Amino acid sequence: MKILDKPIRFLDEKLRHFDPVWQSENGTGGLRIRYNDKTGVAKYREWRGMRDTMLDYAYWLKTWGALSLMIVQAPVKIVKALLEYRWFGSYLGAFMMLDRLMEGLRGEELKVSHMQMHTVVSSMTQKLGFLLKNDERFGGGPDTQNIIQYTETIGPLWLTGFKGLYPLPLQTYSEFFVSYIDQHVLPYYIDVAESFGLPADACALCASETGLTFDDALPSAGKVLITSNMTCNASESKNMFERARAGKPDFAVAMAMLHNDPEGHTYSRKNLEEGIAFIEEHYGVKYDWDEFFKHAEWMNEQNTIEIEKWDYFRTEHSPLNGAFEIIYRMYEWQAVNGTDYKCNKNDRKVIERMRRCYESKYIPFDGKYRHRAILWGPAACYYADLPTWLRNCWGIRVIFGLECSMGHNMINTEDPDLAMDDLAIFTEKNVMRNVGTGGWETQKSMFEWGKLFNCDMYMIYDNIACKGMNGFHGLMEECATAMGFKVVFVPNDLHDSRTVTRQDIRTHINTYMTVVMGEEPLDTTLLEFDDSEAY
Amino acid sequence: MKSILKFAGKLTAIGTIAFAGTFGIYMLNLENKLIYYVVRPILNKHYNAQVRDRRI
Repeated sequence: MKILDKPIRFLDEKLRHFDPVWQSENGTGGLRIRYNDKTGVAKYREWRGMRDTMLDYAYWLKTWGALSLMIVQAPVKIVKALLEYRWFGSYLGAFMMLDRLMEGLRGEELKVSHMQMHTVVSSMTQKLGFLLKNDERFGGGPDTQNIIQYTETIGPLWLTGFKGLYPLPLQTYSEFFVSYIDQHVLPYYIDVAESFGLPADACALCASETGLTFDDALPSAGKVLITSNMTCNASESKNMFERARAGKPDFAVAMAMLHNDPEGHTYSRKNLEEGIAFIEEHYGVKYDWDEFFKHAEWMNEQNTIEIEKWDYFRTEHSPLNGAFEIIYRMYEWQAVNGTDYKCNKNDRKVIERMRRCYESKYIPFDGKYRHRAILWGPAACYYADLPTWLRNCWGIRVIFGLECSMGHNMINTEDPDLAMDDLAIFTEKNVMRNVGTGGWETQKSMFEWGKLFNCDMYMIYDNIACKGMNGFHGLMEECATAMGFKVVFVPNDLHDSRTVTRQDIRTHINTYMTVVMGEEPLDTTLLEFDDSEAY
Repeated sequence: MKSILKFAGKLTAIGTIAFAGTFGIYMLNLENKLIYYVVRPILNKHYNAQVRDRRI
């Protein structure tokens, strides 16, 4: 479309004073001026230049398309779910979340980020629509008895050997991802849990899941409930409540806590095998290894591409940055794991673009960044767009996140015995486990990962309610000082936006960047603003 | 030939109107304003009035 280049350049030149990035560079505004105070509702959308605005508009239409496809699966049940589940109402904020995440992005970064997020949106809406269509609360559906609900931290890959059964995570849709979309929804459920006597300083993720259980707000389907001891001992507690409330036969697939110990793998493998036998017994189906191998091959392809992505993350030429790989990988691991082929298709397209960017020595963000950071620890899910803010305000480019490193070993696709060994290791290293729980060596490995990705800054999420991690804070600080690394601890309360607000997080980082680093912000409108009532 | 041209003309007109309408909604952030200021407050009122089966 070279013929359009000239008129587009002409229009971009004429309209560039509407571009907030141009405004901040020329002292006439910035990325925050188009928002209404407190609410986070933008008066108008970001003008990114003709091509990028049209690209963003096209993906906005695609998001509407994905939502429409979800609704047509079961229109009546979707409306019933909207009236029944408070958390489901929060999905209306998905457009605002996408806008926040994409703020300030242009060119290849915008395209690749949209590809990642659209895959999440389209896969999630399809799976969520399927779950609601078969939700027992609304009378069930044709596949209600063919669903296996599992605790999200265990991932669905090992369950793909049951042909005709559909593994769906219990919490990902109703709890985990809504926190990314709406910072106010989970505090409601935390209050419900606390009204029953749960201490107010418990982990906000476990508290909100407990609240959802007590409030009878989890969709229900399937003959059994599969839980796990992961990620940590607090998760075990909330799993007990979920099992009690579900009132179905349940099986807790316990994984070894010290998962780097070879002895632990044998223990994990045994529990996975017992879990498979439990499902065989209750559903009356036999585990089909050929079916499993098919899905394991999909997962292997995803992990092969993931590892290739890491090679590009190490360079200056990766258009994939910030939250877009972290959120994608998180969703892909908890809810997909070789069960949705559209993720494979997306991975192939994304890696192709990354290869091209590397070959052409593409420089993302026009080179306007100062630091390469690694983001570690349990994240402030209610501030999903923090990496976007870091880049726009301080020029801190988040290269890699904790969640990207989840189970990435290859699974044998020929021998069931060898496959079980691989599966045990793969499943043990789930969300927050590969670099979170698992002992001091696991924690300390952050510095090795940071070096691998040529990072000069370490940002550690300090979950103030995590009793396990609190003890590590001091050790990590000592370790970082001894090694001479720049480390910022980012206080947060995981799913409770009231304890440490988004502005509290920004103030903490602003102080570090000005006092310790002695730097000036790239966009002053982003330094301090009130988004307390925003989704 | 005439009917094909007529059909193409209609298609272009519908496409232009659809584009203008949706792009206007997109650029002025109208769907988010509607959700934030109208739909969600109504839903919240409904959620707050619900009687739920709250128990351990």
